[in-house]
Amino acid sequence: MARISKLCAAPIAALFMFACSSGSPKPIAQIASSEGAIRGANEAGAQSVPNAKLYVQMAQENRERALVLVEKDKNKQAEGLLMRSEADAELALAIARADRAARDAGKASERVEELKGSVTP
Amino acid sequence: MKISNGIFGSILLSLAVTACGASRPPAELVDARAAYAKAQASETASLVPAEIHIAQTSLDTAEREFKHDGNSGRTRDLAYVAMRVAQRAEVLGTLAVARGNAQSAERDREHLQTTIISDQKSKLQSAEGAIQEQNQELAKKQAELQNQRQLTEAERTARVAAEQKVKDAMDALARSTSVKSDTRGTVITLSGSVLFATNQAAILPGAQTQLNQVAEALKTQAERHFTIEGHTDNQGTDTVNAALSERRAAAVRDYLVVRGVAASAVSVKGVGASRPIADNKTTEGRAMNRRVEIIVGNDASAQN
Repeated sequence: MARISKLCAAPIAALFMFACSSGSPKPIAQIASSEGAIRGANEAGAQSVPNAKLYVQMAQENRERALVLVEKDKNKQAEGLLMRSEADAELALAIARADRAARDAGKASERVEELKGSVTP
Repeated sequence: MKISNGIFGSILLSLAVTACGASRPPAELVDARAAYAKAQASETASLVPAEIHIAQTSLDTAEREFKHDGNSGRTRDLAYVAMRVAQRAEVLGTLAVARGNAQSAERDREHLQTTIISDQKSKLQSAEGAIQEQNQELAKKQAELQNQRQLTEAERTARVAAEQKVKDAMDALARSTSVKSDTRGTVITLSGSVLFATNQAAILPGAQTQLNQVAEALKTQAERHFTIEGHTDNQGTDTVNAALSERRAAAVRDYLVVRGVAASAVSVKGVGASRPIADNKTTEGRAMNRRVEIIVGNDASAQN
């Protein structure tokens, strides 16, 4: 019985390793989504907004870690990091847009005040 | 049996670990729940209902995963994503507020600009109206000035023409009678022997030509006043001479009036022998003193 156990141990271990590492295709779509989201955030000016810049960096780090895992064929784990990366980048994009909108609103208010000032006798 | 006990023990341990993991949610899920609660409770949540719904769906997915697989890697990943989605929903709420503020300010600006433009247009129209009125007033004054200039020019021309006419008439008269100027004005002297028979006040037919010339000359000076003075020599009494000289002056006046000289412009005076111009001791002198003088005043108002 002990011999049988020893004989079975190796294939079971191999099967376990296979299940953990492989069996999932490379997350090509998620890699593209993550990259697109980071690019979108940067184009929206996230690098010039401190809070947004932080999340872009996190997105970038998660993406890089995911790419390392993909190289090791740990696609399932990589997929989770890519999900995180995309979520970080989308948050950065929203922050950048909100910052831009707040500045636009401020400028619009300034223009109104300037106009009011110009009509004051 | 030994082996069976070992396998059973492993299974029990595994179940215990799993049960323990299932009861304690991962930090990511705790953070996601907090982030969702914060987003949902924010003042701006009502502005982004779709984003809040997406956050809720993300959190539900993570919760289901946790319920099914416990503290697995996928549970943590989904919870992390749910946290970010909730944070994003909150940020999008502030974005909506900022955009609303910008739009509101833009509307205010447009309204203000419209008001300013309208006000400026109104002021411009008022100014244009005032300018138009001023231009009309100016044009009116210019027209009046032009009329006055024309009138003045016409008057000047008429005056020059009238003066020339007077001069011509007086020059013509001077060729047949004595015309001179003194302090009283222009004095036309007509000889008494030409005009009247001795001691008579009726004008002789032979004098009419000369008197006609005088009448024509006086008619050119309608605005002036004429004084007709009768003069005699010193023969006879002063009373007789005064009466005779006045009758003769009146006779000349009547003739001139008949010839078109305005009666109101003429006055008569009998001077008698009081103002001789020659020696009464000689025949020639007395003849010269018997005369009628027509004085054309320098200024009609002064004569009146």
